[in-house]
Amino acid sequence: MQRNRPPSAQTINVLRALAADPAQWRYGYDLATDVQLKSGSLYPILVRLADRGLLETSWEPSHNSRPPRHLYRLTLAGREYVAALTPARADKKIPRAHNRLSEA
Amino acid sequence: MPIIPALLLCIAVALFRRSEKAVVEGPKPDVPLRLLRWAAGLLSAQRHEWGQAMLGELDHIDGRARRWRFAIGCVVAALLLPPWGRAGAGVLAMLAVAIGGVGVYASVLTHYGLGGGSWIGVGIVSVLLLGFTLAAVPLLRRPGVAVPGLLGGVFVALTWIAMSGFGFVSFITRVWPAWAVPLLFLVLPAAVGVMGTLWRGSAVAGRRTARLAAITAGLGVYLYGTIAVAHVGAGGPPDDSGFSIGYIINDRLGNNMIFYLLLLPLVTATVGWAASAALAHMRPQLVAADLVSFETYGVASPMPAAVGSAGVAATAPRTRHVVLQYGLVGAAALLVAATMLVG
Repeated sequence: MQRNRPPSAQTINVLRALAADPAQWRYGYDLATDVQLKSGSLYPILVRLADRGLLETSWEPSHNSRPPRHLYRLTLAGREYVAALTPARADKKIPRAHNRLSEA
Repeated sequence: MPIIPALLLCIAVALFRRSEKAVVEGPKPDVPLRLLRWAAGLLSAQRHEWGQAMLGELDHIDGRARRWRFAIGCVVAALLLPPWGRAGAGVLAMLAVAIGGVGVYASVLTHYGLGGGSWIGVGIVSVLLLGFTLAAVPLLRRPGVAVPGLLGGVFVALTWIAMSGFGFVSFITRVWPAWAVPLLFLVLPAAVGVMGTLWRGSAVAGRRTARLAAITAGLGVYLYGTIAVAHVGAGGPPDDSGFSIGYIINDRLGNNMIFYLLLLPLVTATVGWAASAALAHMRPQLVAADLVSFETYGVASPMPAAVGSAGVAATAPRTRHVVLQYGLVGAAALLVAATMLVG
């Protein structure tokens, strides 16, 4: 069943933080610090954005036997979504094509 | 009595096995890392990458408080992150059985008009059943544990009920033959532990299977026993005419709680673990499979295969301590049970 809830304020904050420099890969903890989100909120958001194809992920090669780090940045669709989201949020409307993002 | 030495022998074998594994002990992880490794192992296969992402991030966070905050947040996320798949159905089924147990208990008290003191028992049972259900959640989410654990639990529960002839009256007033005690308290849990270990080809999975089977069996037999009390009431042999109906009902409900919510799960989990550890001792490849992910962690592969098992070797000393405690408690419980049932 499709839900029409708008994306949460937290999701929008994450999207905007990622959209600030779309080409740059971001670490999860840095992103959480940037948008002042706890990890328990951030990761479910990132997972859902990735599921929606709005978020691209990659692994940073590990050094000195340390575990690899996960990196995030917006996909092209993600950038377009953020661009469309900003005016839509100002009008308190959500684009119909992206309604399922409300799960994020 | 041969049961106690047999159980202690199994525990000794498992402890010896643990000592061997401690040789490959790596750097000691702190509690947030161990917690997060545990939680990451709960994620479904398609979310495995995200567990690694959390672990990789934690490795770069300094400061005890910040590591704790990050790890706890990730644990919550890992516990709630969908998809739950069949684990969701398992949790719902367990919750239904737990609520059923409390509901039948409360209905018996209401039916017989038992006083306020009896309702304390409802509170205790509710806490136990809720605790069991919550404890089952991470086990149900573990790959390769849910199915053998639930099957093993149903098998144990059915065997316990079958030993009483499937009748409500006989279930309450049962007198087991002497051979039933080692069967129910040793052979059955050991079979579950061995089955769980072989099912997944992993000693860790075997121990988890035994725990889940213990919880499942406890919940199931407790519900059956409470329904039996509701059905039989104060009737049936022995003729307890010297006691009030309220006393007999409370006594039977209390016995259900002690036997099926405490003794049965404890013995099943402990002996099942011992059997799993003994099998791992005889087949070292079962332990080797658990340690592969630890060796490759962050080195050979960007995504270790089983983070939940990665801390096995590193936490061996603590585990040994916990295992010893479990073994002692289990042995004591077994002794008490055997004395009560045979005598």
